[in-house]
Amino acid sequence: MGLVGQVFDALLAIALVWLAWQATRAADLFRAVVSFIVFGLLMAVAWVRLEAPDIALAEAAIGAGATGALLLSALDRLAPRRGRSWARVWRADARTWVLWVPAVMALAGALTAAAWQLPAPGLGAVATGALEQSGVDHAVTAVLLNFRALDTLLEIGVLVLAAVAVWSMGPAPAASAPVMPSPTLPMLGRTLFPVFVLVAAYLLWRGSHAPGGAFPAGAVLGAGGILMLLAGAQPWIRSAEHGPWRAILSAGFAVMLFAAIVGALAGGAFFEYPAAIASHAILVLEVTAGMSIALLLFAVYLRGEPHPAADTDRQRC
Amino acid sequence: MLIYLALASVLFVIGLHGLFTARNLLRRLLSLNVLTTAVFLLLVVIARKATPLDPVPHAMVLTGIVIAVSTTAVALALVERIALRHSPEPEPSASTRPGEEDA
Amino acid sequence: MTAGDAAVIVLVSLPHAAAIAGFVWPSRAVTVSLISAATLMAAALVAMHAVAGYGAWRHDVGGWEAPLGIGWTIDGVACALLLLTAAVGLAGSIHHAAARVRPSTAAHDPRYFWPLWLFLWGGLNALFVSADLFNIFVTLEFVTVASVGLIALSGRLAQAAAWRYLLATLFGSSVYLLGVALIYGRVAALDLPFLAQALPADLVGMTAASLVTIGLLLKGAVFPLHFWLPSAHARALPPVSAILSGVVVAAAFYLLARAWLGPFRELLTPAAGTALGLLGAGAVLWGGLLALLQRHLKRMIAYSTVSQLGFCMLLFPLAAAGATQLAWTGAMVVLLAHGLSKAACFLAAGVIVRHHRSGRVDALGGCQQGIGLAWFAFALAAASLVGLPPTGGFVGKWWLAQAAINSGAYPWLALLVAGTLLTAAYLWRVLEAAIRTGPPDEARRPAAIAAHREGAPATPSDRGMMIAALGLALGAVAVGAAAPPLAPVLSSAIGVTW
Repeated sequence: MGLVGQVFDALLAIALVWLAWQATRAADLFRAVVSFIVFGLLMAVAWVRLEAPDIALAEAAIGAGATGALLLSALDRLAPRRGRSWARVWRADARTWVLWVPAVMALAGALTAAAWQLPAPGLGAVATGALEQSGVDHAVTAVLLNFRALDTLLEIGVLVLAAVAVWSMGPAPAASAPVMPSPTLPMLGRTLFPVFVLVAAYLLWRGSHAPGGAFPAGAVLGAGGILMLLAGAQPWIRSAEHGPWRAILSAGFAVMLFAAIVGALAGGAFFEYPAAIASHAILVLEVTAGMSIALLLFAVYLRGEPHPAADTDRQRC
Repeated sequence: MLIYLALASVLFVIGLHGLFTARNLLRRLLSLNVLTTAVFLLLVVIARKATPLDPVPHAMVLTGIVIAVSTTAVALALVERIALRHSPEPEPSASTRPGEEDA
Repeated sequence: MTAGDAAVIVLVSLPHAAAIAGFVWPSRAVTVSLISAATLMAAALVAMHAVAGYGAWRHDVGGWEAPLGIGWTIDGVACALLLLTAAVGLAGSIHHAAARVRPSTAAHDPRYFWPLWLFLWGGLNALFVSADLFNIFVTLEFVTVASVGLIALSGRLAQAAAWRYLLATLFGSSVYLLGVALIYGRVAALDLPFLAQALPADLVGMTAASLVTIGLLLKGAVFPLHFWLPSAHARALPPVSAILSGVVVAAAFYLLARAWLGPFRELLTPAAGTALGLLGAGAVLWGGLLALLQRHLKRMIAYSTVSQLGFCMLLFPLAAAGATQLAWTGAMVVLLAHGLSKAACFLAAGVIVRHHRSGRVDALGGCQQGIGLAWFAFALAAASLVGLPPTGGFVGKWWLAQAAINSGAYPWLALLVAGTLLTAAYLWRVLEAAIRTGPPDEARRPAAIAAHREGAPATPSDRGMMIAALGLALGAVAVGAAAPPLAPVLSSAIGVTW
């Protein structure tokens, strides 16, 4: 890294610290949430700087996009609580500056020093060695869908579970309309959605040999769907039993589970793909996992059980 | 690299501080998310320090991000319903089961 | 694929499959769940039988060996906890199916109980076999989300408790993950048996061990990090309280034990052991004291969980003092007996509270017609919690006491005795209230009196729920008989250094 890079990193770090501080301390909640979203976007830049483009894509779409949308839509349900003004923060928290800041600096310094000493041997060489038998070219995809596929299965499980848990709390408290509807948002949302679909398809296609793949693709698609909702589109899950949607939402998880069991039945271990079909199996899993992540992000965003009565009259409070 | 390690530590501490001092439920959730991001950052720096680049922490962080959004969604759903109790508008049908409530 | 492997795969995948089925077809959820519960019980028995017969084994998921892949270790302890989960899961399923909650009486849509319940079960099973630190993180989050969903099902008050639980446990996860990240940065491995060989006892190891421990202590509600437990456990539905108190909390202790006697074995110095033991002592005494002071039955049982898990923490000082094997089997038997009897208590309490229409301890007297079986189950479970022979609680505490005597650690012996007396005191309060002729302040509780006047005969629904509780209580007693012959199996644990 050259000097320019160093300076860039330093500026980025300062901006991130400032945003994180805003997100946790800012006087009003709206500002805190917006700071958090920008924080997510800048984190994506940091991930790129750290040569983790896959994470950058996921962070931008999920960390900033989906989480941000969730937070924003939660805001209008929460009592608008104005925090203290900045002047008062500086004055009232004198103790903070004497007590907290030095303690915090010491702790942070110690953590940094400890982490800097880590030898970090890494599994890069081992993973590269096993890549040939894995059925994919891109190492991160190989880890996600082959070496550590169990993690991925359970992770999609957590997402399904989150959807079930959120739905189990009853219908959403209010309409999923945005906090501050902008006149351009509906049009923007509808125009952008096809772009989201295209980007997602492209990421999915690239995934097996370059950064990209199921997670970023699913995340981008999910974020696009949420944008549509923000733009005022009606949720499509409407009937009482939710028609086939419950099955479709659980499909990604079910397909992965099925693949794992088939591996075991074929004489190998749980999740051991027969070598001949490994690359095809992973491709299928990737597509279903990506679609499923997109749909589940969308389902979770509904913030409650979609109900035929609940979303027809969208009164705001 | 050192910059990012320092960043991870500072973010961790900011998250920690927010989690313990914030009163507002949403703010505590944001702090928790900052805290988690700090841990992810440490993992990615570890991956970057290794030669060759280590894909395993990258996969771990990707998994972690999806888990974090799931837990955040559940937490938000709870926060919204808890906040609703303190708002004046009536709630549709929320009778507790006889004998199950414990005061 | 051997029978044991097949059983483990069924244990990990069937609950998830059944959960999806219950989510997609809510009308068939009860049938699917009961069949799955019975199958899972059978599979847990097959796995235990395989371990007892052929010894512990490893299953490399995906065929990738550690450190690249994720491993499952199927050994005696893991199978014992799988069996515990199956027993509590089966009894809870029967209890909930018998309760026949109608949508009109439930706080929230009861259709979601079964998917969440089965997901929790599946997450726990995946946790108990996992040998990979990051995979354990994922399963812990899985268990957390399922638990939170289940707690929140009981309505408004429970949602606040669920939120506190969620925040505490998510914070615990982050701290745990930080520890895992440090370990990974040090040796580039996540597999517990692998780390038991590879992790050096240096400063990084110590920091990582403390972080992992703090994270797990939060999840296990070990004193003084137990603040979230009582309301979360007391406000949930009876089967949910049962599995949370009996199994979910135990899972955190199980991981602590595996970590400290595995990768962190070198770090388990007498000082570290004593520190962990003191937390246990605090839990036993403070939890016991608060249990004694509770007015509500379910809260009392919940505080008792804090107290009883303190006994298990004695494993660490006693292992550090040299009596590792005896302390290990003792702590594990206490854990299993506690899981079964605590779940029995909560299931019985569900019936008792329903009968008396009040959860207050001093309102439990009077007519017990029709719920004698529930009280019998409660008394049996209480006997095991106190540690009366021949129950599982007795055998576990006896072994812990022997370990204390063998290693000359008499203060811990004193703690065992004090804790046992405290347990006896708070449980006797409940049983004494039950055998009183009537509530002392009858005039103030017309609903309860109406119930007494009717005589409230046992319905088939009550009977099913009481049988579920009784089954678990009998299980806690049976652990006492089964533990001595099964002690060698319990101490077969891959990656644990004696």
